[in-house]
Parts: sequence; C-alpha cells; structure tokens
Amino acid sequence: MKRGHLAWAAVLVLVLAYPVIFLDSPVYQRMGALVLLAAIGASAWNIVGGYAGQVSVGHAVFFGIGAYASVTGFAHFELPPIAGAPVGMALSVGLAALIGVPTLRLSGHYFSMATIAVGELVRVLSSTSDWLGGAQGLGGPAMPRSVMDLSFLTALPYYYIFLAVLAALLGLTWWMERSRMGFYLRAIKDSERAARSLGVSAGRYKLYAYMLSAAFTSLAGSLYLCITGFVDPESGFGILISVKMLVMAALGGAGQLFGPLVGALILVPLEELSNSLLGGKGAGITFMVYGAIIVIVARFLPSGLLSLFAPKPRVAAPQSKPPQSTPPQSTPVSGHAD
Amino acid sequence: MMFDISRRKATRDVLALGAAAIALSFTTGASAQQSVKIGAIYPLSGNSASAGNYEKMAMEMGADIINNGNAELAKVLPLAKGGGLPGLKGAKIQMVFADNQGTPAAGQSQALRLITEEKVAALIGSYQSGITLTTSAVAEKYGIPFVNPESVAANLTERGFKWFFRVTPVAADFAKAYSAFLKEQIAAGQKVNSIALVHENTEYGNSVASVIADAFAKDGLKVTMKVAYSANSTDVQPQVLQLKEKNPDVAIFVSYTADAILYAKTMKELNWKPAILIADDGGFNDPAFVKAMGSVTEGLISRSVFAPGKAGSVAAICDALYKKKTNGDGLDDVSARALQAFFVLADAINRAGSTDPAKIRDALKATDIKPDQLVAGYDGVKFDAKGQNILASTLVTQIRKGQYVSVWPKARATDPLILPYKGW
Amino acid sequence: MSILQPVLQVLTSAAFWQVVVGGLMLGAVYALFSSGLTLIWGMMNVVNFAHGDFVMLGMYTAVVVWTALGGGPWASVPIAAIAIATLGVISYFLLVRHILRGPMLAQILGTFGLALFLRYGALWAFGANFKTLPDDLVGHSFVLAGLRFEGARVLAGTMGLVVTILLHVILTRTSVGSRMLAVSEDETAAQLMGIRPQRMQALAWALAGASTGIAGALIAMFFYTSPTVGETLAIVAFVTVALGGFGSVLGALVAGMLIGLVESLSAFLIGPVWKDVIVYVLFVLVLWLRPQGLMGKT
Repeated sequence: MKRGHLAWAAVLVLVLAYPVIFLDSPVYQRMGALVLLAAIGASAWNIVGGYAGQVSVGHAVFFGIGAYASVTGFAHFELPPIAGAPVGMALSVGLAALIGVPTLRLSGHYFSMATIAVGELVRVLSSTSDWLGGAQGLGGPAMPRSVMDLSFLTALPYYYIFLAVLAALLGLTWWMERSRMGFYLRAIKDSERAARSLGVSAGRYKLYAYMLSAAFTSLAGSLYLCITGFVDPESGFGILISVKMLVMAALGGAGQLFGPLVGALILVPLEELSNSLLGGKGAGITFMVYGAIIVIVARFLPSGLLSLFAPKPRVAAPQSKPPQSTPPQSTPVSGHAD
Repeated sequence: MMFDISRRKATRDVLALGAAAIALSFTTGASAQQSVKIGAIYPLSGNSASAGNYEKMAMEMGADIINNGNAELAKVLPLAKGGGLPGLKGAKIQMVFADNQGTPAAGQSQALRLITEEKVAALIGSYQSGITLTTSAVAEKYGIPFVNPESVAANLTERGFKWFFRVTPVAADFAKAYSAFLKEQIAAGQKVNSIALVHENTEYGNSVASVIADAFAKDGLKVTMKVAYSANSTDVQPQVLQLKEKNPDVAIFVSYTADAILYAKTMKELNWKPAILIADDGGFNDPAFVKAMGSVTEGLISRSVFAPGKAGSVAAICDALYKKKTNGDGLDDVSARALQAFFVLADAINRAGSTDPAKIRDALKATDIKPDQLVAGYDGVKFDAKGQNILASTLVTQIRKGQYVSVWPKARATDPLILPYKGW
Repeated sequence: MSILQPVLQVLTSAAFWQVVVGGLMLGAVYALFSSGLTLIWGMMNVVNFAHGDFVMLGMYTAVVVWTALGGGPWASVPIAAIAIATLGVISYFLLVRHILRGPMLAQILGTFGLALFLRYGALWAFGANFKTLPDDLVGHSFVLAGLRFEGARVLAGTMGLVVTILLHVILTRTSVGSRMLAVSEDETAAQLMGIRPQRMQALAWALAGASTGIAGALIAMFFYTSPTVGETLAIVAFVTVALGGFGSVLGALVAGMLIGLVESLSAFLIGPVWKDVIVYVLFVLVLWLRPQGLMGKT
C-alpha cells in the first residue's frame, strides 16, 4: 500500500515540477504543454467516445468553435482570446444538442459517419465566411498587450494553465464515473437495448455526455488558440484533429480515466521528436512511424495500452462452449439503436 | 644502447611533433572556420510538400554556391566566389531544415527548436501564410531575424514586428501588374470587356482573387464572372462548361498544382480556349505542371518573379545550376524566391560580419541590392519600416514551346507577347 | 410558362447534357472505388479508413507501370488489381483479422494507422511531386451527338460499371459469393457447413483490393497522383457507401452515379464550393432519414 502511495506522490511531484526541471529547454517545456493540451482534448472526447461508447469522428467541430470564438473575440472586439472561451463552450454545447438529437439515434458506424459529415460541412462553410477570416483564417494578438492575452514567451505558464484545466476535467470525469450518469453510460455502452429495457433513457444520457464532451473540447480549442495564435478552417475544423483526439484516447484506453493522457504522453512526443530528428529530410518518416505504432497497438492491445495494467479477469474452469459467432459489438444493420 | 638513444630520439620527435600539432591546432582555432547556422522551416510533407522540397533544394544550392563557389556566377555575383562568407572570415553557411508538416503548431515547435537548440542565427520560411504568421512570431519573441521569401498575406507586415523581413511582392503588386498589363493590351486593340476570375477556395486563392478584383475595379476593368471552387476537386468539367458558355475575353485562374493540371486537361477535353488565358503562379508555375501540361498550354500567360533571362545573367546561371541539381527542373516562381531570399540573408550576414542576431537585423534593414545582382526579377531589394521589400515586383511570363519566357514589362521582356492563346 | 422557358432552355443546352454525361461517368468511377469499401463493410463490419490510400497506391502502380515499362491501362489495370489485392490480403492477415472481434474503436485506430503508414510510405518512396500520365494514353476525345467524350474518362466510366456489376454478380450468383455471404451472416453456421471463414474473409479483402486497384489505375489516367490524394477520395467513398447502403455493391453503383450527377449539376448550376455542401447535406439527410441507405438491408 505504502509503496503505491509513494509512487503516486513521486509522479505528482514530477508532473508539478516538470517545467522547472526543464527550465533551460523551451522545447521540452513546450512539449509538456502540448501533451497536456492534447490530453484535454482527448479526455473530453473520452466522455462521449470512451464512456458512452459513441465514437464521434467529428469532434473538431467543437474544437474549432472554441478556437474561432477566441480569435474572433480578439479580431473583431479587441478582447483577450480567453474571453472567447466561455462563448465557445456555450455555442458548442448548443451545437452538440442540435446535432446530437438526430444523430445519437444512429448506432455505431452510422453515428461516426454522420459526425464526419457534419464536421466536413462546418469546415467547408467556415471557409466561405469573411467574418471568420474565410480560408485565410484569423490571427490572435501578434504581441501580448497584457497578461490576460495569455501570449507568453516560454511554455511554462501554459503548462500550468493546461495542467489545471486537465486536472479539473479529469476530476469531473472521475466524479461522473462514480455517479449515476456514469453507471447509466456503462450500461448503455454495454448494451443499449438492455439498458433501455431497464428504464434507462439512453437518448438523454448520451446527449448529456455529448454536450459535456463538446464543452471541454471547445475549451481545448480556445487554449490552442492562446498558445498558437492562429486558426484557419483546416487547423480548426480539419478531420485530422478529430482523428487525433480519438486515436490518443483509444491508444491509451478509451473509457479509462487516464487513457487519453497515456495516449497523449506517447503520441505527442513521438510526433514532435520524430519530426525534429527525421523531418528535415522531408521523407515523411515521422508519420510512417506514427502509423506503424498505432497499427501495432491496435493489433495487440485493442483496448488500449492501459489494458496491460488492468487486473486479469479470473478464468473460469474450461467448459465446452461453442465459439462466439459474432463480435459482441456488432452493429444492427438497420442503423438505429434499438 | 643504440636502441635507447634512438628510442629517446623517437620519443623526443614524437613529443615535438605532438607539440607542433597542438600548437598548429590552436592557431587554426584562432582563425577558426566558424559556421553560420540558418534555419529553414518548410512544408516537407503533406499537401504542399512539392513546393517545400523545391525551395529546400534551391536554398541548399545557394549555400553550396557560397561555401564552395561557382566560377561563372562569381563573375557577376561577388558572394559566389566560394570559401564561405568573407565578412566572417570564411565562415561557411550551414542550412538546418525543418518540416512544418503543413500545420501552424508544428511550424511553431520547429521554430522554437531551431532557435533554442540549434541556435540558428536567422530563420527563413515558411510558405503557407498562416504558418509564417506563427513561426515568425516565435522569432520576434526571441529576437531572431526572420526572412520570408514567398508568403503573400497582407497582415504579415502589419504586426509592427521589428525582426520580420519579406522579400517577395504581395498580392497587391501582382494585381497591379495584371492591371497594367491588361490596360496595355486594351491600348493595343485587344478586346478586354469580360474577365472571369476562377480561384480555389483556400487562403491563397481567396486572398489573391479578392485583391485582383479590387485592383481591377479601381482601374475600370470589369470582372464579369467570379468562380470559387474547392481545392482538390475531383472534377472541374462543370466549371469549364460554364466558362465555355459565357466565353469571357480574359480568364484568370488562381490555383494550386493539382487543380491547375485538372483545369488544363479539362479545357483541352472540352475544347475551350479564351483569347487571353492568365494563370496566376501557384500551381501553374510548378515544374510538375509545366512538365505535364506545358505542350498543350502554348501561350498561357502567368506571372512569375523568375524568367531565365539573358545568358550570363545571375538568373540564367542559377537556372542552369538548379537544373543540374534537380535532374531537369528549372527554377520557377517559388524556388527562385527562396533562392533570392537566401542570398539576401547571406548578404546581410556577410555585411554584419557577425552571427549576432541584432547585427544581422541591422544589416538587413540596410539592404540595398541592385537588380542585376538578383536571381528574381525584382527591381531591387530594399526594406521599408514594416519589413516589406518595396522594390519587389513581378514579371508577366508566357509559355512558349513548353517553357516560360518573360514578355512584360517590355524593359525586361526576352520575347514578344503572342495573342490569342494558342493552347494545343 | 415563364418559369418553364428558362428551365427548358437549360435542359436543351448542350452544356447541360455534357454536365449530366460527365457527372454520370464520374459517378461510375466513384462507384468503382467505393465498391471495395462497401464489400468489406458489409461482410465484416469493418470501416477501412485506409481505403483512400489503397486507391492512391493503385494510382501509383499505374504511374510506375508507365514510367518503368511504358505500359498503358491494358497493362496497369491488371497489375494494379493484383498488387492491391495482395495488399488487401496482407492487411487482412496482419491486422484486420485481429481487430475484427475488438471494439469498433480498435478498427478505426488500426485502419487509420495503416492509412498513415501507407500514405507517408508513398511520400517516402515516390516523393512529394505530383505525377500525371500523358493525355493520349487512351486515345483522344471524340464527339458523339454533339457531346465531347474523353477517352480516358469513357474507359474509366465503362470499366467502373463493368467491374462493379461483375463484383455484384460474383457475390450474389456464384457459389464462392454465397459462401462469403454465409460467413458474413453467421460465422458459426458457415463453419458448421464446412466453410472456412478466414479464407472467405481473406478472399473478400482480395476482391475489394482488386476492384480498388483497378479503380486507382483507371483514375490515374485523368487525375493527378500524389501521396495525399487518398484523403480526398476517401471522403467521396464514404459518402457513396453510406448513401448506397453498407454492404450493397449495387447500391454503391447507384449512389456513385447519383453523387457524380448531383456534384456536377450543382457545380454547374449553383457554384463549385456549394457542391461539397450539397453532397454533405445529402449525406446527413440520408443518414438521418434512411440510415441503411438506398439499397441496404433493413
């Protein structure tokens, strides 16, 4: 017991002291901040994609809304970008309700496809709006006007801000896990039909998860705008953003509290370091490695890396059972969850 | 005994030799061959990798010219004598390339790495305007000079930055050039009553198209059709059919390579040839386009800052050298701008006589290069207070027998303009 | 009367019919490269996120056949079919087989990783530059009934139709096909009847790969080839499959032609940017109102 506590304490100290340990390496400080930002996005996705089992491949919609809300607040109203964050979150929750009601009825692949379509639709539409900067995008404050602009030279302040947000998000998720909602979501994820038959209003809880997830994804987008200072339709709403959130959560372990963080801890440094080491030659080896690692994890650890540490279920005495004929998560071909 | 003496002698000789070697290394260390590191951040993977790689090759060639010299070029360009930068006692230039992966965040990360870990003296980059925005912001915060060869978004020089220098002309300059060119054609009796503007729908296409439309409006030229299409379309037949129906006198395309190839092919398929076909740079100047479609686009008008020009000129010699490096592709609008900006930076570092960023910045501010020293067709290189090269300009070129030649302004033209558009 | 006139004018203009024909031919090509995706999806409930990159590799096969052997479509199409079929089978045995029983998330993860690997592998192997095949590889354009037809597109469209129908016939009318369908319906029952599920699934990947490779080789005749071209094509394929109905090759054919037509018409009548919007809106509507698509199983 004590050793476990000591280990956790050591990890906590390490996490808190990380930017100070790397005080003379802005690159590593930034990498830490980027890991945390990615973890926020992936953890937000995890709420609806991991816990509720609704695999959204269009979450960039909310990310982009958060980023654009922040940047338009600056570009059109001279507000500090962070002021746009609550606006973005409100808009995202509203949009999630709007999209969620019709699409959450769909099951499995159909829901995923619908989220892709909506995501692409929003991306194309955003490039036609001059107020959003059109295809050129919009830039945040070129030089910080005050601390509130959150435009810092080193990544150290970002690290702590992102850490605080991530801690809050994970805390909220942890509480949700143990709450009634978490219980219902697990039931829905396991078998929606069974859950409904037991009186769980699946539609309502899926929608709550979706809206909560949207809010924090939007916050991640606003924070992204603060550290990067620019957004355009591709970097705000691009499908790669949606997929990266998903991949990080899945790699670490979807539906697990720390899954997304583990995924981010692996994929973000991987991307940054391999680009730094190999990118200059321009051969794209960075992403070949990235892709290969994802394939290997999917192949050998389909439930994510954290499943390596999950307690192994007790094996019952062998019985003569016919082999499973269909995978447990097969999608009813009708397309509707029933 | 004899051996003892000889061993002692040998030892003494070895020691003497060693001491001499050490002393020698110290002296060479004093007049040490430093190297000057320049960081270049470009799209080396992703959708714009083609352009990024051409620019990388251009700058590699530039560094090679300065470090190892080229006899023919040295006749016109002093820096090409070789042996590194004379102002830094022969220090060689070392290019450090980084991939911006087509995302603003990756560009930022690489800029940070190049500045804080590779300790570059200056940065060059980054092709996409949005990425140039974020990478140059990092340079500004750290006080490192940032030279931009090719991004055209207007806001880049409107940020009040002190370390940002843009060598290329911007969209407004191109529009002015087209306007002046077309007005000259009207004066020569050509019909220019209807103009169609076809542009791809991302940053490049939108910004250039709207600037052209504004400039034309001010100069009394009528844009009768404006067609925005999605970049990376799978098919452009409907657009070409529309254009064929309306048959404007002048058609101006603003496209990336993929779309350029698609449009050229589709126009041939559907047999539509406007009298004046202007293709704004971007995809149409990509060697891949010229190789693929050059033979069926005879008479296509484009703008480029580059045309090989007269034999023996800086442009012509560099073009020949580049062809050797790329196995056949000559310099084009984008790669020429990269090479030019590289030379501007090298010249500034040379005059600064130091790798101190502030001194380099001051040298950049004082830059004044005459047109005969340039590989790009600018009127010169001189930066204003915002960091914009006020002598940047563009040539209007035309495809003649599968190659671009300059046809306007008359003072720089190597060939006469031939109208109407011949095509295939 | 006044509304009818402009409508009639449009309907009788040569340009309009050119657009229609062009859209249908394009649609047949969409159908071809979507048929592989829908087959896999229908048979084993796997969304292949690497599908676009399979097409891309088919295109590069054609480019390599041209540059190395000087061969046109008559050579590159069969070679691409074999090459991508092999890729499909390898993907099945090394990856897909193991993620079939896993959560859908693992499938997305796995095939997405594969997509990245193939895409950037192509960048590393072939470089970033766009490659195009010469115009006259398939003969020139000809005029028929006042409409222009371009050789490469006609070939692609016709072969698209032929191969898709052939695939449908194989699946529904041959004994191999019925064995494959049996496995997709109930693996255990099929096993009890002496059918080996893994063999059938591998065969499905081979067939899907072959049709995708053929599609790629044909598209390369009139479209540019680059490592990232798969991204653009993949989205079209997903929309086509969703519209047609997951698992229905015939549905993919109908949907492909429909999408090609809608795309071309909206680009011509309304505006090019809006064609994407219209297709996505159509997509969302179909998913909402009839998720099984036009011809999917209910």
